Amino acid sequence: MKRTAFYRSRWLVLTFSIICIMSILLAGCAQQAATKPAETPKTPIKIGGTLPLTGIYADTGKEVYGGYQHWLEVVNASGGMLGRKVELTIYDDASDVKNAVTLLEKLITVDKVDLLAGGYPGTCASAQMSVAEQYKKVYVSMGGHMTSFTKGYTYSFGAPPLMGEWWFEGIYRWLGTVPQAERPKSVAIFTMNNPIGAALLADAVERFKSLGIEVVINEKYDLPLASADSIVAKAKAANAEVFVSGGLLPDGVLTVKACKTQGYNPKLYLHGIGSITRGWVAQLGSDGNYICSGNSMSYRLPYPGVDELNKWYAANNPPASNAPDYFLFGYCWMQVLQKGVEGSQSLDDTKIRDWLKSHEISVIGGKWTFDSRGLPPTIDFATQIIDGKVELIWPPDVRTHAPVYPKPAWGK
Amino acid sequence: MLSWYEIAHGLIGGIFVGAAYALLSAGFSLTWGVTRVINLAHAAFALLGSYITLTLLEMAGIDPLVSIVFIVPLLFLLGLGLHYFLIKPTAKRTRDITGASMVLCFGLYIIIENLLVIMFKSDDRVLHSRYSDISLAIGPISVALTSIISLAIAAVSLVIIYFFLNRTYTGKAVRAVWQDREGAMLSGINVEGVTAITYGLSLATAGVAGLCLVLMYSVTPFIGFSWLVFVFLVAIMGGLGSILGVTVGGLIVGLIVSLGSVFIPLAYINLVLFVLLIIVLLIKPSGLFRR
Repeated sequence: MKRTAFYRSRWLVLTFSIICIMSILLAGCAQQAATKPAETPKTPIKIGGTLPLTGIYADTGKEVYGGYQHWLEVVNASGGMLGRKVELTIYDDASDVKNAVTLLEKLITVDKVDLLAGGYPGTCASAQMSVAEQYKKVYVSMGGHMTSFTKGYTYSFGAPPLMGEWWFEGIYRWLGTVPQAERPKSVAIFTMNNPIGAALLADAVERFKSLGIEVVINEKYDLPLASADSIVAKAKAANAEVFVSGGLLPDGVLTVKACKTQGYNPKLYLHGIGSITRGWVAQLGSDGNYICSGNSMSYRLPYPGVDELNKWYAANNPPASNAPDYFLFGYCWMQVLQKGVEGSQSLDDTKIRDWLKSHEISVIGGKWTFDSRGLPPTIDFATQIIDGKVELIWPPDVRTHAPVYPKPAWGK
Repeated sequence: MLSWYEIAHGLIGGIFVGAAYALLSAGFSLTWGVTRVINLAHAAFALLGSYITLTLLEMAGIDPLVSIVFIVPLLFLLGLGLHYFLIKPTAKRTRDITGASMVLCFGLYIIIENLLVIMFKSDDRVLHSRYSDISLAIGPISVALTSIISLAIAAVSLVIIYFFLNRTYTGKAVRAVWQDREGAMLSGINVEGVTAITYGLSLATAGVAGLCLVLMYSVTPFIGFSWLVFVFLVAIMGGLGSILGVTVGGLIVGLIVSLGSVFIPLAYINLVLFVLLIIVLLIKPSGLFRR
């Protein structure tokens, strides 16, 4: 009897113990199952894109790549994104639009990257925006001027864009503050006959007219410009007080040389893309001074992070004293993507897109909200080369130097 | 209302541009005429001349005018090499040397372009010589000294080539091969040697033309193709193998792009150029100065 009771109680204890152990194990498993997604698979987030690392745009393409790589170092040093390390795959598109498109599709469909990095230059970016839209992937780049942002793409962001249509916006706004009596009276406009030239001076005639400045010449020239002698002679003969040359560096060099040779010194000299490139100052020396232009990125911007990037770049790339513009463009595009990922707490491109379009972000290029086209408010930085440096003369809150107007004589 | 100031600048600018392109086209026209080879790499060799000038000036302070002493023999040797190691072996293996040489030379162009990018990067380069900032006043007209020097070099070079082809035995042999290859062979002319000299001469003039162009323009490794378009225009308009033809063709092209822009909108200049080319081809397909 006692023996039976003993056995019975022993079985009860054993059964109870098994139930307890099983309960604990099951509870543990359940808890593990519940927490597993939060702990995340520890695979890195893959970001992929293409850049022109060889070919005609290689020099600036490598600068953008430098910006991407430095962003990658910074973000991984601070723990990555969403608690995961970040990996970057950049294919060389050899400055070819077809390669840029093909390789981006490969990154999406074969490499299956989580996120896209923007391409460069505008021709490649513009073509890739279409691919990004097709696969519903967020795409942050400079875009391909305004036309690329008016095609109804919803996943593309110009952050900042390199927008021809905004190029001289700062100049127009600054001219509006110059007293009427001191304002130039006439302008001669010469633009390169291509989409960039058209974008640069899309509404120039109307804008100058609204400022009370008479447009005495408005012509387009084909690249390469064989001779600037007659262009400058026309402007000089017309007594144009503003000379606008909406071109690149080679035609800019020709027109500057012709202006100097002919002794034509307009009160205000505006030039397109070429004058903000490093080559302008390096190749023209003091003749390149006092030429005004525009931009949407600069190492002189007073926004958080720019100083640190300049210091890092100068320390790692002697004899450079500051980060080049295209390095900063690259860094900024990745910064915007990071804001979207961290803001939406997701790698879902639609969630990232929606978050970016509904929140204000602060990056090295400024503080922005994006409109439905993926564009920030009009960027109106006006530049002038002063003592061999690209100074910001507009808007007042970023100004690094007062505009030098009227332009001093050549060689002064 | 047009002013004499505009017309004078258009005229002078056109002469400067035209002379440089005439010299650049002279060698191209010679090799096309003599050997039926369309050397698409011709402008790339001119670019070599530009970069040699820039490098000698920047690295060793050698004046651009003195750099001719280096450019001419170096490019002449390259011309011989081009003939013996590329064109000649290709010609032996094909019946259509014109087509084959175009592909070959296009490949060569790409190789030279990429080598220039590796060596000099793709940035624009401007020549800064001791006379870069000097301009001369001719009445109310101001002219850059570099443009005058470029014109002088081009003019002297064209005159030298003209006299070489018309006054020397070797030059006459070049012309003989160009006019009737088999007849020249039967006359005992060393066609092989003459052809090699033609390539040497062609590339040497291209190198000097590169010097003339870098005196006036900024250069990048990618500018060669733009030059090549003008080379085709001038050579076809002037007539293959004719030095007088390329000189006049160069001046016509130069005057249209510079003086023409005084009278017609700049955007129509290329239209006018190519319409003129079509007219020349329709009326005189061999070019203005080819008999």
